[in-house]
Amino acid sequence: MKEKILTLPNPFGGDLELYKNTWGKSGEPLSIVSGLQGDHLNGMFLNSHLTQFLDSIVEGLHPHYTLTGQVQTFPVVNANSVRSGSRLWPLDGMNMDLAFPGNPDGETAESIASTIWQHTRDSFWGIILQSAPPHYEDAPHIQVYKPDGRVKKMCTDLRIETVRRQKESSTQKVNLFHQWQDISSVILSAGSPRTINPQQCETLFQGILNFMKAEGILKDHRNKKPDSKTKARIYKSDEEISVRTTTAGMFLKEVKVGSHLKQGQKIGEVRDIYSGKRLEEVTAPEDGLLVTLRQYPIVYEKEPMAIILTAKKSWREYLPF
Amino acid sequence: MPVQTQCILSVKSPLGPPIEILKHVFPAQSNKPRVSFVTGLHGDELEGLYICHRLMRYLKELKTTYPNAIQGEINIYPAVNPQALENSTRLWPFFSLDINRTFGPGQSPSLAVETSQTLLDDLQSSSDIVIDFHSSNLHLMELPQIRIIKDFEKKLLPLAKKSNVDLIWVHPNADIFESTLGFNLNRSKIPTLVIEIGICHRIHQSMGDQIFNGMLSLLHHTGTLNITPPSEKIIEPRQVQPDQVAMVQASHSGLFIKQVEIGQTLEKGDKLGKLIDPVTGNVLEEIVTPCPGLLFTLREHPLTHKGSPLVRIAKSVGEQ
Repeated sequence: MKEKILTLPNPFGGDLELYKNTWGKSGEPLSIVSGLQGDHLNGMFLNSHLTQFLDSIVEGLHPHYTLTGQVQTFPVVNANSVRSGSRLWPLDGMNMDLAFPGNPDGETAESIASTIWQHTRDSFWGIILQSAPPHYEDAPHIQVYKPDGRVKKMCTDLRIETVRRQKESSTQKVNLFHQWQDISSVILSAGSPRTINPQQCETLFQGILNFMKAEGILKDHRNKKPDSKTKARIYKSDEEISVRTTTAGMFLKEVKVGSHLKQGQKIGEVRDIYSGKRLEEVTAPEDGLLVTLRQYPIVYEKEPMAIILTAKKSWREYLPF
Repeated sequence: MPVQTQCILSVKSPLGPPIEILKHVFPAQSNKPRVSFVTGLHGDELEGLYICHRLMRYLKELKTTYPNAIQGEINIYPAVNPQALENSTRLWPFFSLDINRTFGPGQSPSLAVETSQTLLDDLQSSSDIVIDFHSSNLHLMELPQIRIIKDFEKKLLPLAKKSNVDLIWVHPNADIFESTLGFNLNRSKIPTLVIEIGICHRIHQSMGDQIFNGMLSLLHHTGTLNITPPSEKIIEPRQVQPDQVAMVQASHSGLFIKQVEIGQTLEKGDKLGKLIDPVTGNVLEEIVTPCPGLLFTLREHPLTHKGSPLVRIAKSVGEQ
């Protein structure tokens, strides 16, 4: 069911409207939020795909599945920036994800933030869908901060192999994700801003499906065991290596995000824009998984070109001694 | 010793000339408190650039006329976000990022974070007191004021009172402040005043001159300058707590046509302006002041959405 949850008048007509979709009435609710930034299109695409899928189940078009739990999705949060085709709403230039928990009587961003918070605060599970920051591409992965047992179980159930445990910064205290501290929640990230990558979205979609089946939100009558044996691997923040430029110019990448790199493998090179001369070869300092790669070719000195999750084995992997 | 210009950060750019953050150091004759002035974290806020210009000219002249006047080192960082200043944008345009939300621990690696960390480190190593100049955003005009987070009130209030501002607003902390330069300096025990003046994209010379005089008064108060400031009397600022501030917000979307000016003393019921519907021509709302007091924030950008702030008033005594 599509439901309007907020209407804000526009001085020139065409009110700003915020919607949520809901399916099912019983069980612990799962909230899935996308479009916090106007250019995070993968999440919006994934949410629309999920809507189509859940609608078809409810309409009985998917005989193998029954919805046994409760799901609510919020496909577009920062509607003004989506309308203006930009990351941020030009009128306030504000990062929507720095407006939480918001204020129902405040300005537009605060009012939207408050509405989303009020509608999701009683959820049992939460998923935020996002893309990489501007100029970068992310391989599909899960982000968590301080995962407890429930969140670790979520990661296991999603069966997406890469999980980044990140340090929480002071900026994140005003993110939606931070407000969800009492909810079992993860961020799913994939792709670049301003683009849709159906293949990456499919990976996340299958992950959400795995999760819903594992938690009993969705019942698969085929009683099939999971096809893949994908195991989530949690990388701590000190297992991440940021590979930075020492020159500036045009970065030409030679690898794909999501690939496993060997120490010394070439990631790309920086060329001088005027002469075309190679200024620098950017290489992997260690073996690891390339989780984030520079997409936009114009680069300054000291910018990260890649983030590699190192393949150091945790002590658990050496057990039993 | 002559004034020294140092480059605290240089980053090669793809088109040649590097991005550089400069600092002018006015060396000290003794070990009185070192004071640093920072401006341009947001590239569309220009009022602080004018104040720093006046300070630099004054201090350079002072070096000639009174060579012993500078008793504590004075550092001026006249343009700390050069790309945003060149483009006159609040955000660092290449990254669409507010650099004043990148301070503090745990930030993801980026050039912006490296830049803010370098600036923070430099200020921490060379300052006993810091002044960070800001203007308001595109929408609101602010009377010269200092906003102080309650936890830092004890150290900051005596300094703020010497700064020739019209208003000091002491308020509780909020999470959003924790990634700012001012908060992180104060947390590291370096008293830092965040001075808010005017509106972005403009220079209001009279406000700038007022704060310039305030800064000389402050430098004299700390012993950093050992000569009496040439200025007129310093304003005794109004000091308010959150419950002493009234905010009027728009209850409709439309265009705000103001009928008052910043700094006015208002009586209850005075007309503040009206909200009009630009499409139908209707007047949506006549806005009046809910209480008597000093008008210290005024909406300048007419385009208004429901909930937008229109004015802030420091309530008169008796209304609190």
